[in-house]
Amino acid sequence: MIKTKNITKRVTTSEGELQILQPISFDVKAGESVAIVGASGSGKSTLLSLLAGLDQVSDGEIFLDGAGLHDMDEEQRARLRGDKVGFIFQSFMLVQSLTALENIMLPAEIAGMDNPQKRAQDILDMVGLAHRGQHYPNQLSGGEQQRVAIARAFITNPQILFADEPTGNLDAKNSEKIEDLLFKLNQESNTTLVLVTHDNELAQRCQRQLQMHAGELTEITENATDTMHKQAV
Amino acid sequence: MNTTFSLAWRLFKHEARRGELTIILFAIVLSVAAVLSLSLFSERLQAALTDRTAQFLAADRTLYSDDPIDPAWLSKAEAMGLAHAHQVSTRSMAFGEQQMSLTDLRAVNLDYPLKGAVKVAPEPFATASETSELPQIGEAWIDSRLFQLLDVRLGDSIEIGDANFSVARVLGEIPDAGFSVFATDPIVLIRQEDVEATNVIGPGSRVNFKYYFAGDSSALNAYYDWLEPQLDDEIHNWRSVEDDDSPIGRSVGRAEQYFLLASLLAIILAAVSIAVAAQRYSQRHYDPVAIMKTLGASRQMVQRIYLLQITFITLLGIVIGAALGVAIQQVVVWAIADQVDVSMDMWHWRPLIIAVFTGTVCAVLFSLYPLLKLFTVPPLRVLRRDLGAGLSSRMIQFLAAGSAIFLLMWAYSQNLKISAILFVSGIVLVASLLVVTHGLIALGRKLGQGRMGPWQLAWARIRRRALDNSVQLISFSVTIMLLLVVLVMRNDMIKQWRDQLPEGTPNYFLINITETQKPQLQQHFAKNDVESDKFYPVVRGRFVAINDERIRTNVTKEDEEDSNEGRQGLGREANLTWSLELQDQNVVVEGEWLTAWQPGQPYPVSVEKEAAQRMDIKLGDVLTFNIGSEVVSTTVTSLRDVNWQTMQPNFFFVLHPEAMKAFSPTYITSFHLAEERKPEITALMQPFASVTLFDVDARINQLRDVVEQVSMAVEFILVLVLAAGSLVLIAQVQASMDERQQELAILRTLGAKGTLIRLSVIYEFLIVGIVAGLMAALTNELSLYLLQSQVFQMNGSLHPEYWLIAPAVGAVIVGVLGALGCWRLLKLNTSQLLRQMV
Repeated sequence: MIKTKNITKRVTTSEGELQILQPISFDVKAGESVAIVGASGSGKSTLLSLLAGLDQVSDGEIFLDGAGLHDMDEEQRARLRGDKVGFIFQSFMLVQSLTALENIMLPAEIAGMDNPQKRAQDILDMVGLAHRGQHYPNQLSGGEQQRVAIARAFITNPQILFADEPTGNLDAKNSEKIEDLLFKLNQESNTTLVLVTHDNELAQRCQRQLQMHAGELTEITENATDTMHKQAV
Repeated sequence: MNTTFSLAWRLFKHEARRGELTIILFAIVLSVAAVLSLSLFSERLQAALTDRTAQFLAADRTLYSDDPIDPAWLSKAEAMGLAHAHQVSTRSMAFGEQQMSLTDLRAVNLDYPLKGAVKVAPEPFATASETSELPQIGEAWIDSRLFQLLDVRLGDSIEIGDANFSVARVLGEIPDAGFSVFATDPIVLIRQEDVEATNVIGPGSRVNFKYYFAGDSSALNAYYDWLEPQLDDEIHNWRSVEDDDSPIGRSVGRAEQYFLLASLLAIILAAVSIAVAAQRYSQRHYDPVAIMKTLGASRQMVQRIYLLQITFITLLGIVIGAALGVAIQQVVVWAIADQVDVSMDMWHWRPLIIAVFTGTVCAVLFSLYPLLKLFTVPPLRVLRRDLGAGLSSRMIQFLAAGSAIFLLMWAYSQNLKISAILFVSGIVLVASLLVVTHGLIALGRKLGQGRMGPWQLAWARIRRRALDNSVQLISFSVTIMLLLVVLVMRNDMIKQWRDQLPEGTPNYFLINITETQKPQLQQHFAKNDVESDKFYPVVRGRFVAINDERIRTNVTKEDEEDSNEGRQGLGREANLTWSLELQDQNVVVEGEWLTAWQPGQPYPVSVEKEAAQRMDIKLGDVLTFNIGSEVVSTTVTSLRDVNWQTMQPNFFFVLHPEAMKAFSPTYITSFHLAEERKPEITALMQPFASVTLFDVDARINQLRDVVEQVSMAVEFILVLVLAAGSLVLIAQVQASMDERQQELAILRTLGAKGTLIRLSVIYEFLIVGIVAGLMAALTNELSLYLLQSQVFQMNGSLHPEYWLIAPAVGAVIVGVLGALGCWRLLKLNTSQLLRQMV
């Protein structure tokens, strides 16, 4: 489902060029769940943004379901995201001026799907918020907002789901509920899941764990000693 | 498209309901309401004032002609729905039993006057009141002065030409008598039917035919369009209220320019407030745009959604603004109904069109740049919250905004000069503010260090925001500057109007005082506690030649031998005076005053500038006057600018006393007699039967009336602009408060005391207010100087008092508004604050 070849990311700062990601190559199979762990500033969110087509690589190639993200412009990547990708963020990223139900409808509407409202209502039921559909995000608790975000991510039946610290803003009890919901929906819909977290317990629930450290990626589940880029070289 | 529309509509609906659109909506509502109410009000007021001025023409338009006009022209006017009246006038001698006098004979038909009213008095020099009647056939209504000059009483008979008239009434006033006190002979009003019998009108006599027209302005304009090709410049002269160069016409003209200025400023205020609101609107939508893009929305879809949303907001703003504008205007008209007669009958479309146009142009052009910025927000912002818009060219913004404002002003005012002046002042202000902002950053870096107290916090925030918020500083300054311009302009204008007619302005003039009567009169007046003005010596002379060229001097029928040949002169005898002292409100604009004369040189004369222009007289020309049987030749050594708007004797020609030694003059003087002492006038003048008395009270009152009404109107316009400006300031502070919300939330979370936060915000606003006020006061001087000297024909002056007042008021208002906004935020607890953050 995801294939990367020697992808790097450099940014220009006032002190010169900075290499955020060393050359990285790895694959993720369809239906697989992968956790990318690492300390703050290790580059894991940057990697996620590249995999999800939110940002462009400096070098290397990324294929998402066979489509070369590295060759696409922003418009093409947007279309691909709309068709195949779902997102969950640490800060929920709900549109504050839309109700919970409308937030969930949003990706379906953008993708031009039929009956977005019906779909949204159904999925709102699934995440247990049927009675909160007309509430605005700031009227919901953190856990509820994240459940709305999860519902929004699944409404288009995406092939890949990217989650950036999905429980980072939640307390332990809510975190657990959200994790359960996330993995349940993931399994039911057979979605590929790539999540970024610094929470080891959450990472453990994924089939594979990749460790990010100073821009380098290491596989820690299958072969703890191989760094990904060395594997590729 | 359907999805886009429904998404846009849904966003609009929710945001409107949640009050998130309040500020931008408020800005549009304000701009439409302010522009509409101001221009609607000023249009109505102008109509009222024009109507008032029309009363001094006795019509909306007049046509002067040297010959009777083709009757078909009048039939055409009638066919076009215009009312018309006619008058034949000439200067003719009138004879009483013993005495005779030159008079200004006016023969009118029954429709005269179309505007204003004829006033009659029960006895000479008494207070006159309006009448709807006109003289009967065989009757003459004569000026108070003529009773004196001809020594007649009511019921006596006078002779004009070959006809006899019975003196039936004392003519107090006719609407189109004119404002010149000395240029007129006493008026005799008769009916047109009687003219033929007098035989004063014959070949070669100088007769004016005047035709009056009234009706609505479109019909009048259409009529003029039809008439114009048939008019002969040599014979005909078409005049409208706008051509009125009398003191009243000028006051009204100046007021109209003031209204225009005020409306222009309202447009700029509106533009500024929309610019501020649009910027904030755009910033608040960075997240939704990033989210939509992340979820797969194309750039085109995002553009459509937000363009549609701006369209919805603009439409709603225009509808609410228009309703509010009409309401405000209605309330103002109702409130001043007692003072100014503003007609509500007519609906003026132009203001509505202008207001809608302004709202639309402002909303579109000023949200264009923030929207373009919004469209460039990258989807990556969902992960990296610090990412803003990709577009950052202030230059484009300033250029777009600047040209939008300029075009709007120009389109509206059709006056390149006013628009350019305001625009240039604006540019100077913006440029200086950018420099000042940099200075503030440097200062902030220095003062924002050290232990965190409220002052340090305030300076630190200014430093951090100074560039980002230079738009805000500029908008504060522009707002304050515009308010200052309107305020100071109004003060200067009203002061100059009132200075023309201070309390105690002479309301009577005396002429024909002989050398022997002069001391007696002075003594008599002193005894009766009446204070007379200076005595000016006067000799009547005929102005006969400029250099060697003869002048047309046909003054009356008796002078007709010269017919119409020669250069144009005064058209009547000249009042010559002499003095070495330059009169009040007279300024030598060319050459040197008479005191520069040395014995042995030709005698000098000083000529009034406009008269000189009219007669094509230049410095060094030799003017010849016939005084009695003597001939006096003088050389023009100076041209004077004379303020004709003062009620004092003014002269076209002032000679050197040396040149006039041989002549025995009569004297002119003036005095003020209070309203309650008016009945004493006959007794007061009893011993001086040969002295001619002019009563100019009526004219002074007319002038004062109009000045009062115009001043009142100007005051209301000022209040409207001030209100609009204050609202803009509130909106600006409110907008910037929201930007501070996040910082306040963090400070609160960190446990900062409310006092510290509140004080730091107040100090910050105080500093911004002082800077904005000071900059506004300085640029105010520039724009005022340009406006007064270039547009309003006033003398420009500095206003140092505002250099202190403006920063103080700016600091207080902006500081208080900041404190209020802050107080609202501090009332919320930290979690509410955090939750409100988008």
